[in-house]
Amino acid sequence: MDEDLIDYTLEYAENKKIEYAEVRGQTQTADRIVLRNGNLEAYVSAVDTGFCVRIMANGGIGFASTNLWSKTEAKQIVDLAFKYANRANRKEKLFFAKEKAVKAKWAVTQRKKIENVPSEERVQTFIDIDKNITSCGVNIPATISQCSIDLITKYFANSEGSRISSFVPKIGAYLFITVAEQGKTEQAYEQFGRSGGWEAFKEWNITEKMVHDAKVLKNVITKAENVKPGNMDLICGPEVTGIAAHESCGHPMEADRILGREMSQAGRSFIYKSSPYWIGTRIGSNTVTVVDDPTLENSYGYYLYDDEGVKARRRFLYKEGIINEFLQNRESAAKMDTSSNGSSRSINYDREAIVRMANTFVLPGKLSEEELIEDVKHGVYMKSFTEWNIDDKRFNQRYIGREAYLVEKGELKNPVARPIIETTTEKFWTSVDAVSKEVKFDAATCGKGDPSQGAPVYTGGPCLRLRGVFVK
Amino acid sequence: MTDMLNKTQEIVKKAKKLGADEVIAKTTLGKYRQVRFSNNQVDITVAWNDYVTDVALAWKKRLVATQIHNFVDVEKNLKQLLKLAKVSKENPTFGGFAKGTFRYARSKADRKIMELENPTEFVFQAVEAARKEVGSKIDSGGILFTKFENVYLSSSEGPTGTDTRSAIELSIRAFAEREASGHGVECSSTLKGFKPSRAGTKAGEIAVMAKKPKIGEEGAYDVIFDPLIFGSIVGIWASMVSAYSIMTQMSVFVNKLGKKVAPKIVTLKDNPAPYSMSNRVFDDEGVPTKENVVINHGVLKTYLHNTSTAKIFKTKTTGNAGLVAPGVWNMEIDAGEMDKDELFADTKRGLYLTNTWYTRFQNYAKGDFSTIPRDGIFLVEKGEIKQSLKDLRLSDNALTMLGNIAGISKERQHVHWWGEADPPSLSPYVLMKNVHMTKSR
Repeated sequence: MDEDLIDYTLEYAENKKIEYAEVRGQTQTADRIVLRNGNLEAYVSAVDTGFCVRIMANGGIGFASTNLWSKTEAKQIVDLAFKYANRANRKEKLFFAKEKAVKAKWAVTQRKKIENVPSEERVQTFIDIDKNITSCGVNIPATISQCSIDLITKYFANSEGSRISSFVPKIGAYLFITVAEQGKTEQAYEQFGRSGGWEAFKEWNITEKMVHDAKVLKNVITKAENVKPGNMDLICGPEVTGIAAHESCGHPMEADRILGREMSQAGRSFIYKSSPYWIGTRIGSNTVTVVDDPTLENSYGYYLYDDEGVKARRRFLYKEGIINEFLQNRESAAKMDTSSNGSSRSINYDREAIVRMANTFVLPGKLSEEELIEDVKHGVYMKSFTEWNIDDKRFNQRYIGREAYLVEKGELKNPVARPIIETTTEKFWTSVDAVSKEVKFDAATCGKGDPSQGAPVYTGGPCLRLRGVFVK
Repeated sequence: MTDMLNKTQEIVKKAKKLGADEVIAKTTLGKYRQVRFSNNQVDITVAWNDYVTDVALAWKKRLVATQIHNFVDVEKNLKQLLKLAKVSKENPTFGGFAKGTFRYARSKADRKIMELENPTEFVFQAVEAARKEVGSKIDSGGILFTKFENVYLSSSEGPTGTDTRSAIELSIRAFAEREASGHGVECSSTLKGFKPSRAGTKAGEIAVMAKKPKIGEEGAYDVIFDPLIFGSIVGIWASMVSAYSIMTQMSVFVNKLGKKVAPKIVTLKDNPAPYSMSNRVFDDEGVPTKENVVINHGVLKTYLHNTSTAKIFKTKTTGNAGLVAPGVWNMEIDAGEMDKDELFADTKRGLYLTNTWYTRFQNYAKGDFSTIPRDGIFLVEKGEIKQSLKDLRLSDNALTMLGNIAGISKERQHVHWWGEADPPSLSPYVLMKNVHMTKSR
């Protein structure tokens, strides 16, 4: 990383009539291993490196990036960004919420350095996983396995004096299986992710998890019954809790979305000034607290400073059922007359940093999973999900169970095929009457931005018990 | 131009000299610009300059790939790549890169897109057009995107060529009330005939019609799809005709070649024609691109292939090679014989849907999925729009829906929007029978 060139670029920008400038460099060593049906399709290994400048001038913002590390190119992108900022011609001038200058260096350590794991071992790991999955006694006609390894070095400098360097290794895996039995198919995927080193593979237990999924899918085909639609209790496993926390709490609490900046893509929020929902409004039962926390060590969404140089911290989004704190970057915070809470993220040097989640999860309660189930007379336990989605105001959502069981008189009974909960955000969270004590996380890639920026995140939480919701 | 091609060819020669069996190098010099706006004002204007050479090489059926930036450290990068190939594993289904020399059509890319001095002007035109429809209370947002690429390709197996690719897209969502919005897009490969105001007017018109929506009712409806939302539905089928999707069971079209999958009125093609945002004269193996009829009068005729997948399926490449798997460039649905108004007139009780997002599957092989219509959702009775609706979800099956197409308009629009109406398509208004809608309870 040529930090001197970044400093030079900032200096060149500062000589113009600007209100603010920042330069962000990123070098990403990226390896992608792609297997289909156990065969290595391709191994892609590349270094993507470049830098961007973001300038605020005349109340507008211009952004330009390049992957040519030269002074000529640096000047060119500064000139472009400056020109574009001025041409915004905004009636309401933009400004950023105030922040102190930060000088920091931070890094994620690896217990087993990815760089020291030979390529052949990386490939063989996935070939072995595939073999173990496809020989588990379930008919699996198709598999996809992908591994992503990213070693990310960043350097951030802004006109307020911040200088922040960081190094984050991120490792991810994605597996997709098709199970075919009795002329029918079912499919499942799992995503794994971690900030850290190759030690991730020991913790993930990929084979065990995928073999479990294969057996579950076989059961869905051969043994599962349909749910008789009606109002009943629903236990959500941590995977379902996590997706609900992400979709119907994390996203609607993004301040840029609330302000309308994503209106034509990812959409808006059911929360807005003059709506029935704002900070202080009840949206869930008092057993529900949802947080977003970038500082969870080794999490997929881990960071200590965001991409505007703001120190990261835990954010309490829904606190005991009350709408509490939005996710903010410096632009949205200024518009709402508050401070950034370090939620600004960019996936690469050629993308602007926007408001993002990091690791969104429900805080645990005091009951065990068994205690949650014991108190259900009639209901469904949805341990994991297949199809899911939510509308662009983040109010109408649906989750369909992958692994799910009928619950009768406090006991788990037969598997049920694809039970569906299709409900509103308010109904979902106000129906929660109990929360279990063990939190589990899943890795995911959160989509937002135009061009799209798939951001690594964790979703998670304990089991939730919802009372009297409609399941079909 | 020649200099860039020479440098690209040099990479191929060097890789061969180092021991690679087959090599492809593709250099792209790209200039991309984007204006993002919301609340009727420009939020940010973005410029990306990209200089990259994608290199894919095979050694004893081991396929590896990398990127080289600005021809820096070529030798070092190639040595590393070959080293990687030697410790990699054989891909028994790798069928080699395309062989032969080809003549390519001349690119019709529009250089004026690269030289566009003030792209924000287009944004203001679109917003003003929407404002004319909605009035002073309008709230609108969207993007203007431009692309101009010079592409140089060289393959050790023969293909060599240059291409220029251009695209411009304006996407605007206008709100007349908090829950009354419309979305319009204007997509082209050239500035000629590019009218941002057309997108603004459409977004504004739908937004006004969408005022005072009521929560819709569950049930099966006849549905008229606007070209924009139909572009999203076509995107589902498009992703499933790639041979890669067939091999991974991520398609409803497995074992359906030669079989009837749609009514006779449905003909679906892939065609990166000069007008399209995906315009290109060759694919990533250097094979000339062409029009491929995927569904001909309801019968599935072909999957989309690169050289390797074509060998597996005992056919010829269709010119759809991406770096690893075949992709889809630009879908076209043949125009029908009905006017848009006739489609409405044929609908006694149904819905008119204009846009959607968040499409997710339970099972790609089976085709069960749902997607969430947004912007204007309208109840149609006796051919007339009766009521604006909201909060409905389309919950159906990809193959069943294809089979339920009952009418196609003469009028078509080139549409693309974010990741939702993607890949780009030439899309008509379509009447579909018996589409299932659900809602929250």
